[in-house]
Amino acid sequence: MLRPRLFLSAIALVCLSATLTADEPSHVKVSLMPEVRTIAPGAPFSVAVWLKMDPRWHTYWINPGDSGAPTEIKWNLPPGFEAGPIQWPHPERIEVPPLVSFGYEGEAALLVRITPPRDLKTGERVTLAAHVSWLECEELCLPGEATVSAVVQTGPNVENDPTRAKFFSEARARLPLDSAGWSFAAGSGRGFVRLTATPPVWLKEPVAEAEFFSEMNGQFSNGRSSWDRGDGAYVIDLPLSDVSTAPARRLTGVLVSKSGWRGPGSERAIRVDVEIAGNTSSLPGPSASASASGLLGAIGLAFIGGLILNLMPCVFPVLSLKVLSLVGQADAPMRARMRNAGAYSFGVLVAYWALAGLLIALRAGGEQLGWGFQLQSPPVIAGLASLFFLLALNLFGVFEVGMSLTRLGGKNAGKGGEGAGASFSSGLLATIVATPCTAPFMGSALGFALTQPAPAALAIFTSLGAGMAAPFVALAASPRLLRILPRPGAWMETMKQALGFLLAATVVWLAWVLGQQTGSDGIAMLLAALVVQAVGAWVLGKWAVMTRSTPVRTAAGIVAAVLIVGSAAAAVKLAGAGGSPAQAVTTETWEPYSEARVNELRAAGRPVFVDFGAAWCLTCQVNERVALSAAPVLAKFREKNVATLKADWTSRDPAVTQALTKLGRGGVPTYVLYSKDASAPPRLLPEVLTPTLVIDVLDKL
Amino acid sequence: MKKAIIAAIILGVVVAIAAIASYRIRDTVPTSLKEPPVGSPAPALTLTDTKGKQHNLADYKGKYVVLEWVNLGCPFVKKHYESGNMQATQKKAVDKGVVWLSVNSSAKWKQGNLSPAAWNDEIAGRKMSSTAVLLDETGEVGKTYGAKTTPHMYVVNPDGVLIYKGAIDDQPTTNKDSIAGATNYVLAALDESMAGKPVSTASTQSYGCSVKYK
Repeated sequence: MLRPRLFLSAIALVCLSATLTADEPSHVKVSLMPEVRTIAPGAPFSVAVWLKMDPRWHTYWINPGDSGAPTEIKWNLPPGFEAGPIQWPHPERIEVPPLVSFGYEGEAALLVRITPPRDLKTGERVTLAAHVSWLECEELCLPGEATVSAVVQTGPNVENDPTRAKFFSEARARLPLDSAGWSFAAGSGRGFVRLTATPPVWLKEPVAEAEFFSEMNGQFSNGRSSWDRGDGAYVIDLPLSDVSTAPARRLTGVLVSKSGWRGPGSERAIRVDVEIAGNTSSLPGPSASASASGLLGAIGLAFIGGLILNLMPCVFPVLSLKVLSLVGQADAPMRARMRNAGAYSFGVLVAYWALAGLLIALRAGGEQLGWGFQLQSPPVIAGLASLFFLLALNLFGVFEVGMSLTRLGGKNAGKGGEGAGASFSSGLLATIVATPCTAPFMGSALGFALTQPAPAALAIFTSLGAGMAAPFVALAASPRLLRILPRPGAWMETMKQALGFLLAATVVWLAWVLGQQTGSDGIAMLLAALVVQAVGAWVLGKWAVMTRSTPVRTAAGIVAAVLIVGSAAAAVKLAGAGGSPAQAVTTETWEPYSEARVNELRAAGRPVFVDFGAAWCLTCQVNERVALSAAPVLAKFREKNVATLKADWTSRDPAVTQALTKLGRGGVPTYVLYSKDASAPPRLLPEVLTPTLVIDVLDKL
Repeated sequence: MKKAIIAAIILGVVVAIAAIASYRIRDTVPTSLKEPPVGSPAPALTLTDTKGKQHNLADYKGKYVVLEWVNLGCPFVKKHYESGNMQATQKKAVDKGVVWLSVNSSAKWKQGNLSPAAWNDEIAGRKMSSTAVLLDETGEVGKTYGAKTTPHMYVVNPDGVLIYKGAIDDQPTTNKDSIAGATNYVLAALDESMAGKPVSTASTQSYGCSVKYK
């Protein structure tokens, strides 16, 4: 009965008054339904505990999720009878943001198998009884309990109750399938468990979005995980909750999909119960262990990689502008030159630290990312394209803002040197544009860095930045080197304009990358935004100049700023909204990569060559065109019966990131050759390929 | 000067790019309540109690603080209050000098939301030993702590570091018989930490009714 104190508070609750009472009628009706009329000695039969919920009320699955409690059944059976565990129908996701529960709305039939004793007397009536307790929730939660019973006959043979055949077949359709030809594997990464589901060969239809429900409460964070279709298998990454202190050894639960696991319209749930394989992300990759030189070696490699980066096409335009500024400064005092070089180096380092710090932080958060991750995001690509386009317009002389953008590159010839701020900016810029290029030696150094604790990783990135800044510092510091450069003159303006075309070409390339990520709609939106930007630049160049009156200049400045900033923002935003990515280009020779496919091909006795690349990776594009598409190379692939697979990393793909991590690499390009001998370690090729190099490697097979 | 402006603009662009990249990446992370990890500083907490007094977690530096998410209409909470288990736990803790703050995050008009007057009746009638019952109708504090259920317990050490979060005990049911023989994680954490030992069970899956957020 109601206690007076509770009653007072119930009155205070006004509209909720009824909900606090202990004798609130239950919102769940329970009944016990045997599938049979007659049971026989020793012959197991099924019964259903049938829960029927009022609208909006729910009860819970074995793992209730963030809140709630599973339904319990205590059996009261005649002596010698044994009841099995509850066979839970697959749950639904019940979301009350920010919380998620797993349970049932409408109704739920909990099936249990009961085995009568062998010495059961026939020709009698027996009563099966159970005490069922559950938690029912709408917004409010109430505990519910009921004693239910059913009477069955005993006889020599089991006799089904025909009126319940349909009920039980529907109830069984909600039980998870046992395997139905699917095979599952689980591996643990940093902060998540990856479940790989391989469909049976005969299943041709794809399985739509599926969701995994772990039977272990608190094992995973209860948010949704995406179900990604690879080539031969599906992959779902389950983020561990921070409660799971000891990593679980097994993954037990059900996968639920809207489409059936045996084809459309079949059972929606399938049982998963697999061992979780060891920590894949902490396994040392072959190249990390090969360069056993360790941290110092990696730092050295990073420095050399940084040096070579200067010669890569990505950095070249920005660096050239920078060198032009030095030409102008040849007569400036050493101190001024060194201050610039220092600022430039600092800019390079700050950009590397920022990118590396972000990368390390996100990886610590369990993200599957590698070097170049920022270019996997369409808004970043769109933003960079806008920036480069503006720079190009500026170099062409369309506009000269009071604070000319060219000074980033440093065209300021006559005034005895540009400011440290501009040098710092060009350092930042050089690093941003350098990311799509991977220089030789960089791959293994970065791969090593990403397996190291944060301080060691930052040391390697710092060394990379130092290597990249080194040539410029050397040039600034040595008057003798400077003298080799031509004298300043009118040629510098011409060169500046020529470099503008290089930047324009970069914009074309970025637009192509965006197209790979978001389809032709994305390109169209970007180009439209660039046109508006050009209008802004033109307004700026025509009316916001010293020859105009102050009001005109101010108005023009505002109009231009709105046009330029607005269109850049629109480009970034629209790219983020994204379209459908362009279909990955696969030809007869190159098929898409998946780990399962590699294993399959090797099992079939074929060596496998995998090209890990991305549209935004310029080095990859060059390699593919120069080395991998060369006729003699293709002929050699055929001669050696090598299967060629392409792993596309243009957009984020955890499967590819994990494969790269396993190989000890932090980014693309990565080329790897697996011999058909499954025990032989994979062979990594250098980052920059030539036809002869590839042919030589293939010859050694 | 102008050069400094240019530098600032470029730096801004870089930061914006980084922010967009990380935003896009964050975007794909499944949405669920973020929880502060055990071992990190407990999130800030400033709330008014049922008697109108303000409490700021920072003011309790130097003392152990227990946070208890409470909703008196929830069957799991009822199990602990009607058996007297929660009050006994509160008393044991408070007698050791612990500050015990019960927090009610039920939003206005949602189940479990009581007026300050109704709360004061409950505190007296149920003989609660909480230092105070704090009202969090906006749910902001509950969400920063990642409070999912009632009860949901947090223990903060004198340095302001979270040393336990999760269930009150190891019996996730509404059945009162389960209380005898249950392991009380909150008292265990307080005992271990006060004895200078690390907390052996520092994080558990909480159980109970969902917190009735807005």
